[in-house]
Amino acid sequence: MTLQSTSAGGVVPTPSASVRDRALFINFFRRELNTRYLGSVSGFAWAFVHPLVLLVVYHFVFTTIFRTSGFGGQSFLAFVAVALWPWLAAQEGIQRAATSLAGYAGLIRKVAFPHELVVYASVAATLTLQLAGYLVVLLALVIFGEPIHLEGLLLALPLWGVMAIGIIGVAMFFAALQVFVRDVEHVLMPALMILMYLTPILYPLTLVPEVMRPWVAINPFSWIVGRLRDALLEGKLALEWGDAIAVVVALAIFFAGRWVFRRLSPHFEDFV
Amino acid sequence: MSAPLLTLEGVGKDYAKVESRGGQLRLVWDLLRGNGAAHVFRALDNVGFTLQRGQSLGIVGENGAGKSTLLKIVAGVIAPTRGRVQVNGRVGALLELGSGFHPDYTGLANIELSAALLGLSPREIASKREEIVAFADIGDHINDPIKHYSSGMVVRLGFAVATALRPDILITDEVLAVGDESFQKKCIAWMEEYLADGGTLLLCSHSMYHIQKLCRHALWLRDGRVVREGAAMEVTQAYLAFHEEKSAQARQPISAAVAHAAGVYAVQSLTINPEGSMSQGETLHVRGEIYSPDGRAPVVLLGIVRADGTPVYGVASDMEGVSLHQLSVDRFAFELTFSDLALLPGKYVVRAHAMDPEGVRLFDNVERAIVVSGASREMGFVRLPHTWHDRT
Repeated sequence: MTLQSTSAGGVVPTPSASVRDRALFINFFRRELNTRYLGSVSGFAWAFVHPLVLLVVYHFVFTTIFRTSGFGGQSFLAFVAVALWPWLAAQEGIQRAATSLAGYAGLIRKVAFPHELVVYASVAATLTLQLAGYLVVLLALVIFGEPIHLEGLLLALPLWGVMAIGIIGVAMFFAALQVFVRDVEHVLMPALMILMYLTPILYPLTLVPEVMRPWVAINPFSWIVGRLRDALLEGKLALEWGDAIAVVVALAIFFAGRWVFRRLSPHFEDFV
Repeated sequence: MSAPLLTLEGVGKDYAKVESRGGQLRLVWDLLRGNGAAHVFRALDNVGFTLQRGQSLGIVGENGAGKSTLLKIVAGVIAPTRGRVQVNGRVGALLELGSGFHPDYTGLANIELSAALLGLSPREIASKREEIVAFADIGDHINDPIKHYSSGMVVRLGFAVATALRPDILITDEVLAVGDESFQKKCIAWMEEYLADGGTLLLCSHSMYHIQKLCRHALWLRDGRVVREGAAMEVTQAYLAFHEEKSAQARQPISAAVAHAAGVYAVQSLTINPEGSMSQGETLHVRGEIYSPDGRAPVVLLGIVRADGTPVYGVASDMEGVSLHQLSVDRFAFELTFSDLALLPGKYVVRAHAMDPEGVRLFDNVERAIVVSGASREMGFVRLPHTWHDRT
């Protein structure tokens, strides 16, 4: 279907698609942020309180109950915290986005707009809040004297960007599938849980038996975790060849997810 | 302006059907491979028309005829499976109640969402906001979440938003039916002004009155195909005639074969004498036959109603201990006489219903119209026997 704009008759000029999409994305993004904390008294404060509470719990569990001393002289709390928040961000981003289209069912059935904006807005809202929480946690760790290299953020933030590209791709795949197959959300939760334990988040890759190590390392998230630790725990900022591969992999995941999404999205109207 | 505002050529739409458990996976696989769905429901088939600027088109048809699908295709909500759609202008669509509104948002926030959907910047919408709020005329409710609105208020707001932007084509789907009388008038007045200013309307309605009033052309859809297209008056009249014929057919006896297949008691024939018209006080003979699927004697319920459906009198054979006369294994006859029929002049309908032998379940309904003529000035339906006691 072709849409052409004509100036005759229209009081308001027909906007270009990209201007419209941006305005719509901003509206959806605000809506996503608002609905997460809708009805809560303190609003966005939860976005910062929640990670701090989690941090205290982990501190208690790992230093008082398990008395782990860390690996290779690193503080175990810092070791876990640096990797855990990006994981939580990815997990929540994928899970929320997978079911996000249902919340826009009314719009999808009645109004013409690019459906992928819903997934973008959902993932963007999750990652924004989680990244804010991550920064709060890092700051708290520094204040409590944990060995965090804040200059590592120069690499950590681009890493979040690469991660976001991949997450959007995965999220688009599952969001599109969820419209047709309602089992997706139920399968996704345990699957992500298993994946968390298969990723070196709570343990270093060096503790994994030699034979299994390549299988764990092939997980793109293992790479992100490793690079984040390089940057924030050791202050290593040098780029590697692997970074370029990671960008390519993230883009490949993004385009694959978007391809699936765009194939299926013309049929959302009837199934959502 | 030689190019038409809207052109549809051979437009068809198939909806994928999922027929089995796990059929969804199969469907997703088919769609990903670029094949169409294996099982489809054909909602629209080979629909084509052009709409010039300033023309207006009404779409009529029964429920499920494909009207909403057609409007959704024009609005760009769904892509056609076959054919071509070309729109040269801004489309404003008002598809059903509260389309595009979020229930948790206030009226004002929803105005902003709708504006973003239409591609307006916040500044542009700010200039339109007062106009929209004034047209919707829902008072302080504009600051309440939409979920607390009545359906009429949602329509008011929806109409106000869709119209504030003066689209080149305004698509409305049966929305006028919800608002109250005064808002309907306001909407129609707005539409007439919009049409007079050269606006183009695509209206889908079950109200032939609205179609005739607002549209010069009309299109009649049936089972996804165009049955008739032309002047609004001509198409709507053909559509109404079709409906009258259809409801008349429903009152004819169903065939013995159908009754047999369905295992129901059915009136096979109903004859009245005199036929069609009679004089006041004449005698009316009624007789007919009833099919019985199990060979047991059925009960017949006879009734006389006014042409508008008001019941006048009804009696069943079992109330008076009458059993029907068996003609063959599965056919039973009844016959009765209303002597000196007391009906006052007017139009009446004689109805016969077949009932099961227990007189509990009521099956079909066959009718015969009759006009009672006479010069009486008495009022009501029937003459009650009476005597005046004159004091002289």
